[in-house]
This record gives sequence, C-alpha cells and structure tokens, in this order.
Amino acid sequence: MKKLCVVFSTSPHGNAAGREALDFAMLAASYDLETSILFTDEGVLHLMANQNPESIGCRDYIATFGALEFYDIENLYVCKDSQKEFGIESDSLPLDVQVLTSEAIREHFASVNEVVVY
Amino acid sequence: MSTFILQVSGKAYGSAAPVHALRFAKAAIDDGHQILRVFFYQDGVFNASSLGSPASDEFNVYQGWQQLAKLHNVELVNCVSAALRRGMVAKEEAETQGLSHWNVDDHFHNGGLGELVSGIAKADRLICF
Repeated sequence: MKKLCVVFSTSPHGNAAGREALDFAMLAASYDLETSILFTDEGVLHLMANQNPESIGCRDYIATFGALEFYDIENLYVCKDSQKEFGIESDSLPLDVQVLTSEAIREHFASVNEVVVY
Repeated sequence: MSTFILQVSGKAYGSAAPVHALRFAKAAIDDGHQILRVFFYQDGVFNASSLGSPASDEFNVYQGWQQLAKLHNVELVNCVSAALRRGMVAKEEAETQGLSHWNVDDHFHNGGLGELVSGIAKADRLICF
C-alpha cells in the first residue's frame, strides 16, 4: 500500500486549507494508506495550545487532531526550523509530534510515495 | 505509459493552477499517458461552475475542462463537501436541499474524498495544482 505525507503549511482558521488537509489525511488513513503528517511554515501554528477559533466563526477542527491515533496516523512531525521561527515551545505541544530537521524531512519525503501539500 | 491522478485546488478565476493542470493533462495524454481522474478540492471546486462567464477574449477554463472530458474521456470529480460549502450545487442536490438554483452540470460529478484517495492508490503518480 502507498505511503503518504500530508503537509500542513498554512496557518489554521484564516483559510480552510488546514481543515481540508485534515479531512484528506483522515480519509487516506481510513483507506489504509500509511499516512504521516508534517507541520511546517505557518502550519506549525496548528500546534499552539488553547486556541479558540469559534470566536471568529470557525469550526474548532484543531480538536479533531486528537482523534488521529484512532485512524492509525501515528507519525506526526514538526519542522524544527519553523517551530523555532514561530516560537512554538516543544514542551507545550498539544500533540505527540516528533521534531525533524530539514535533513530528516528530506529523508522522510524520500521514503513515501506521495507528498501532498496543503 | 504512466497513469496520473490530478488534484486541482486553485479556483477557476484568479488562479493559474487550473490552466497549468489542463496543459499538463493534455501534454500527458499526447505523450501516451493516461489521466485516471481529475479531482477538484478546496477552491478548485469553483472550476465546476457552469455559470462563469469570462469576456469573449479570455480563456474559458470551464470549457477547457469540458473539452478535455469529452475528447479524452477524462473523469472530472468535485469533492462534494468542499463543493457544497462553497455553493457549488448539482441539480439533484439543489432539489434535496430545497435550493432554487444549481450551477454544476453533468460534465462534473460530485464525489467523495475517497475518489481522490482510491485514485492515489491506483495511479502511478498524484500531481497537485
């Protein structure tokens, strides 16, 4: 079965890309494609704790990330450089993500069949 | 010969993504490859509007898709939930939802994300625009 990496590269809530990426990732996993997730660039903002998107009329899809383990999406990664640039502290992450260097991200991309960027 | 599935996320007007996707599709077919399906997701679902009316000297991307589908028998699939959220509605859905208008005709069919995923599983390559 094919392996996919779904890349979250845009900020949550300001546009629908993150929510639609999550829908795609969960569906892919439910079709038994081995699915991993990478947060990079503004996508690392998905990892900020205590978000309240409902106050701007957005659905709180961040809460759905907690269900990923039930979809067998176990490999969650965050880009080390982006995490640093956006000041996202490792010790307060709401998800169990693994921090990857650019080099490790390249290796991961090389190990999957498709990389889908949202 | 390779098989491709295309994902188009750029809207019909204001994004060059669909034009690039059309050109890729034509070039791939001319070269003997197969386009398994074109899947429209995110703002790409706006490509399915039969009501877009660009000026006569502008490229009509909707007609471009129509021709591709007709000439080469390429399946055009809209993600139904992305489409409905954005007001892209086929006749039957308009009737189900009690809406008085619809804007997606038979050249496109509304499907689920599963059609993207099963296409990825089957095709040699996914190409995103």
